[in-house]
Amino acid sequence: MERPLTSTPATPSGYHGCYLRIDLAHASAQRVPLAEDVLRRYLGGSGLGVYLLLRERSPSVDPLTPAAPLAFVFSPLVGSPLTTSAKFAVVSRSPLTERINDSLSSSHFAIGGKRAGCDAIVLVGRAAEPSVLIVDDGEVRLEPAGPLWGMSCSQAETQLRARLGHDFQVATIGPAGERQVRYATISHDGRHAGRGGSGAVLGSKNIKAVAVRGTQRTLWARPNELVALAKQLSAKSFGPATAKYRELGTAANLLVFNRLGALPTRNFQRGDFAAAADLSPEQMAQTHAKTRASCAACTIGCEHIYGLKGGDAQQPGVRMEYESLFALGPLCNVGDPDVVLSASRACDELGLDTISAGGTIAFAMECVERGLLDAPWLKFGDGQALLRALGEIGRGEGLGPRLAEGSRRLALALGRDAIHFAPQVKGLEIPGYEPRALQSMALGFAVGTRGADHNRSGAYELDFSQRVDRRSPGLETGGLAVEIEDKAALMDSLILCKFLRGVFVDFYAEAAEMLNLVTGWQTTPDELRATARRIVNAKKHFNVLCGWLPAEDTLPERFLNQPLPNDPAAVLSGERLRGLVAAYNTARAWSREGYPSAEQVADLGIA
Amino acid sequence: MTITVELFGIPRQRAGVAQTQAEGARLDEVLADLARRFPLLARECFAEAGLQSGTMANLNGQHFVTDPATALRPGDSLLILSADAGG
Repeated sequence: MERPLTSTPATPSGYHGCYLRIDLAHASAQRVPLAEDVLRRYLGGSGLGVYLLLRERSPSVDPLTPAAPLAFVFSPLVGSPLTTSAKFAVVSRSPLTERINDSLSSSHFAIGGKRAGCDAIVLVGRAAEPSVLIVDDGEVRLEPAGPLWGMSCSQAETQLRARLGHDFQVATIGPAGERQVRYATISHDGRHAGRGGSGAVLGSKNIKAVAVRGTQRTLWARPNELVALAKQLSAKSFGPATAKYRELGTAANLLVFNRLGALPTRNFQRGDFAAAADLSPEQMAQTHAKTRASCAACTIGCEHIYGLKGGDAQQPGVRMEYESLFALGPLCNVGDPDVVLSASRACDELGLDTISAGGTIAFAMECVERGLLDAPWLKFGDGQALLRALGEIGRGEGLGPRLAEGSRRLALALGRDAIHFAPQVKGLEIPGYEPRALQSMALGFAVGTRGADHNRSGAYELDFSQRVDRRSPGLETGGLAVEIEDKAALMDSLILCKFLRGVFVDFYAEAAEMLNLVTGWQTTPDELRATARRIVNAKKHFNVLCGWLPAEDTLPERFLNQPLPNDPAAVLSGERLRGLVAAYNTARAWSREGYPSAEQVADLGIA
Repeated sequence: MTITVELFGIPRQRAGVAQTQAEGARLDEVLADLARRFPLLARECFAEAGLQSGTMANLNGQHFVTDPATALRPGDSLLILSADAGG
């Protein structure tokens, strides 16, 4: 490809003021200017990503067809000394939900991609053959993927860096992305842009990996003050608000959720799991070798990496997060920690979202029990069956192609009442929060623009507080859920890790200060509140253009009107959920059904 | 009055036990008893009038409580756990 022309307008500090638009079919790249007004209104990450996709008319395009855009989006804080700021978003229309999908990941790819000289990389078209996309300090080229095609995520990343040089940072898909499994991930350094199938979109473009390198740093408007603030933030990040992540990791949730009857088990048939203690980080730290790791530019260090018992000493350990643990353990009724670790490793190597993989397999296990699916080997509690199912998904063999479609499509194909117990909202499998026991989170799942999701809606914070009754929340929950969702939208656009949220006393004011020191703007907390609202409005508008209907904002029948078997008081009536959704929509100043107003759409600034 | 205290996450790490018995008829009395016996727990998880912001208390796995004057009844279990459920 030719080196794209540089035509960058006056640009605020922290930005390059342009994105690279790469047409893979025609092997051409264009540097497209980004106006300061757009950057200030959408910031970066998820916010800028949804703006770019709306400009590309993404909602009208099937996400797995060549014309579908996929955006890697950086942010103004990437490359700054602010802790946890080395993050990027991958944004596309989801092949799993056919709605907006923004998946975040982190570390050196974010820094390398931004140093390549752009605020985002937007891919359209389809390469003629399996290829590697290389963005080298603004120069763009395609190379044949060759033997990389078919390799695991970590193998491909290692080999490609060996081939290109270790100053390249690489994001790859695994075999699952090549086969366009609808919940395939994009991996970098063992972490994943995990949810919603962005790996399938990249695979549909015949791109095995994206390699980035560059020397183009952006300026900081007030560097001395920024460094001082970054030191303060780092110091706070060592404090008690993040101790849980440092010492135990997110897996610390397991025993708490189990005690509260909120740990999804056997495809959400129960909220407690008899073998929970065996899988807990407290126990696994006694029985397994463990190390810790951090993303680039992070002082928290939440990653807890476990060795497999009797495993190959040459094999790296397995990162274990709560969501992977729940989905591949209790949800499938598997209590053997080594099986769960092996399953998590398989997902990492194949490039599979652990939540959707576990959710779909657990659903299939129940379908087998009910005689809806002819696969007698696929039984709850059978760890080897879990591993076999993951392998078949990755290789496209046996039951794999059916499981690769996700639980909603599988349920619709099986018919009868299967859709009632498929654990998904809008097609996205439900994470590890039992909705009947945590009903604020049930609302968050129902209204989430990318489906059932705990990263865009953190409404569980309400359930874990005295502010609401988690099994009988009042209508005020609608407005409270909006506040939490807005905060997440801003964090995902700045971008900062949500594990920092406990260290902020006045989040919007502190976020404005960070942004101003980087960009030189005079952003106010109120402006950032409006920005967060705009970003959520943009996502909803995207979904409306995709054909979203109000009936999507609900939960499967399993979760409505019947008590959770382990907790008779945990009943979520359909009427209560509908009331909460209406209260949420009202708090967003949308119509009662959930449509943004004409003024809100006009404010998006999408021609 | 003796009640059961269950500890999770960082509070468990600091106390070094998963479960214990404590004396008190109100939340603040139970926390004071725990503070006497588990000084590290108190230093890192308790505040002067209750719990630090990174720590929460829950009664019987049902309701979260913050009021130091919350009355406890015989047979109650008080859960003390790390805040921030996300992950």
